[in-house]
Amino acid sequence: MIKAENIHKSFGDLNVLNGIDMEVRRGEVVVLIGVSGSGKSTFLRCLNFLELTNEGVITIDGKQVNQKKDNLAKIRAEVGMVFQHFNLFPHKTVLENVMEAPLMVKKMDKVQVKKMAHEILQKVGLSEKAEVYPNKLSGGQKQRVAIARALAMQPKVLLFDEPTSALDPELVGEVLQVMQNLAEEGMTMIVVTHEMKFAKNVADRVIMLDEGVIIEDSDPDTFFNRSTNERTLQFLEMVDV
Amino acid sequence: MPEFLLTFYDVFKNTYKGFLQAGLLTIEITAIAIVIGTVLGVIFALMKISNSKVLQTIANLYITLIRGTPLIVQIMFLYFGITSIIVLDNFWAGAIALGVHNGAYIAEIFRGSIQGIDKGQREASLALGMNSSLTMRRIVFPQALRRAIPPLGNQFIITLKDSSLVYVIGVSELFGLANRVAASNFKQFETFLVVGLYYLILVLIFSALLKWYENKLDVDK
Repeated sequence: MIKAENIHKSFGDLNVLNGIDMEVRRGEVVVLIGVSGSGKSTFLRCLNFLELTNEGVITIDGKQVNQKKDNLAKIRAEVGMVFQHFNLFPHKTVLENVMEAPLMVKKMDKVQVKKMAHEILQKVGLSEKAEVYPNKLSGGQKQRVAIARALAMQPKVLLFDEPTSALDPELVGEVLQVMQNLAEEGMTMIVVTHEMKFAKNVADRVIMLDEGVIIEDSDPDTFFNRSTNERTLQFLEMVDV
Repeated sequence: MPEFLLTFYDVFKNTYKGFLQAGLLTIEITAIAIVIGTVLGVIFALMKISNSKVLQTIANLYITLIRGTPLIVQIMFLYFGITSIIVLDNFWAGAIALGVHNGAYIAEIFRGSIQGIDKGQREASLALGMNSSLTMRRIVFPQALRRAIPPLGNQFIITLKDSSLVYVIGVSELFGLANRVAASNFKQFETFLVVGLYYLILVLIFSALLKWYENKLDVDK
C-alpha cells in the first residue's frame, strides 16, 4: 500500500532522516514512536510531500509520488492527514470543513457531499455541531472534525501526526476512540503518537525511530514485552506504559 | 451671534449646492481609486509572494517607486504622461493615478495578511488534495481578507483624503472647488473650514460603513 525506500531528509546541515525503508500493507495500523527529534513527524510529512525528501522513493498504492503538481495533488487526495493542531478552516462551519475537499477536488455533487458529510460527522459523534464554527468546539471535538474532514475524501490511508498531543488529558480518549473504530473498520493508518496504550492495543506494528533511522519494527507484544534493543528499552523506561 | 459664525454660515449657505456636487466627484474619484488600488494590490501581493523572481522583482519595483515618490508628483507625471498618449480627461487621470498609488500600499497590506495566516492552513488544504491556487482562493485568501479589513479601511480613508490632491490637475472636487471659492470670496478661513467639515463628515460615514462590514464578517461573534 505504502512503500518508502531509502528516505533521506535534511534541514540545512541537520540530517533528520538517514535512510528509512518501510512498507505498510492495506488495513495495517502502524504506530511510529521515538523521542522528540527522532524524525517521526518529518517522515510522516514526507509521505505526502508536505516535506520534500532529499533522496528516496515513495510509492503509494503502486503510484510513485513525485513533485509534479498534478501527480502530487492526486496522491494527496488519497492520503488523509490529521495534524497535531487540527488546522481546521476557521472561516468555515464544521460541515463546510468536511465538504470542502470533496466539492473542490473531486467535484462531487453538492447534495451527495452534504449527505456524506452528515454521515461522517455522525460517525465521529458530532452531527449536532454541523453548523457551528470551529472556534466554538473543544480540542477533542476539533480533532474529530479534522478526522471527519480527512475521511470525507475517502482516503486509502490516514496519516496522524501526534493527533492527541495538543489536547487536554480528559479529551484524549474521545479522539483515540474514533481512531480505534477506524482501525477496526480496516482503515490503513500510520500514527505518530506518544499514546503507548493506543500502540499496545490498536497497532499491528510498532516502529521505533531514532536519529532518523528505524531501530525496531515489530508487533506490539514483542515491542513492549520482549524487546532486546537497548534504545527501545531506554525509551520504554522513560515513558509511562 | 459672533461675526465669525455669521460669515461661516454665509459661506456655507452660498456654497453648499456646489460643494454637494464637488463632494459627489470626490466620492466618485475615491471609489474608482479604491477599486483600481484593490485590484492592483491583490495582483502585486500575489506576485510578491510567488516563487518567480521576475514577478517578485516587478512587484518590488512598483512598490518602491510608488512609496518613494510623492503622490502629487505621481498625479502630475501620470496626467501629463497619459494624456500625451491617449485622450483622457483630468477626472480619469486623477482617479487612475490615485488608484495606482494606493495599489502599492494595498499590496503590502495583502502581502502581510496573507503571510500572517498560519502555515498549517495551507498544509491542511494541500494535504486534502487541493492545489496551490484552490488553497489560496478558498482557504488562505478569505482568511487574509478578514485580517486585512482594518488596515484596508485605514488606507481607504487615506485615499478619500488624498483625493484632494487631484485639484492640481484641475479637477473640481471638494478641495479644488474650495480653492476657487476662496479665491473669489476672499473668505479663506471660513471656506476651508467648511470644506474641512465636508471631509470629516465623509470620513465618519465611511468609517461607520467599514466598522459595520468588519462586524458582519467576524465569525467570533
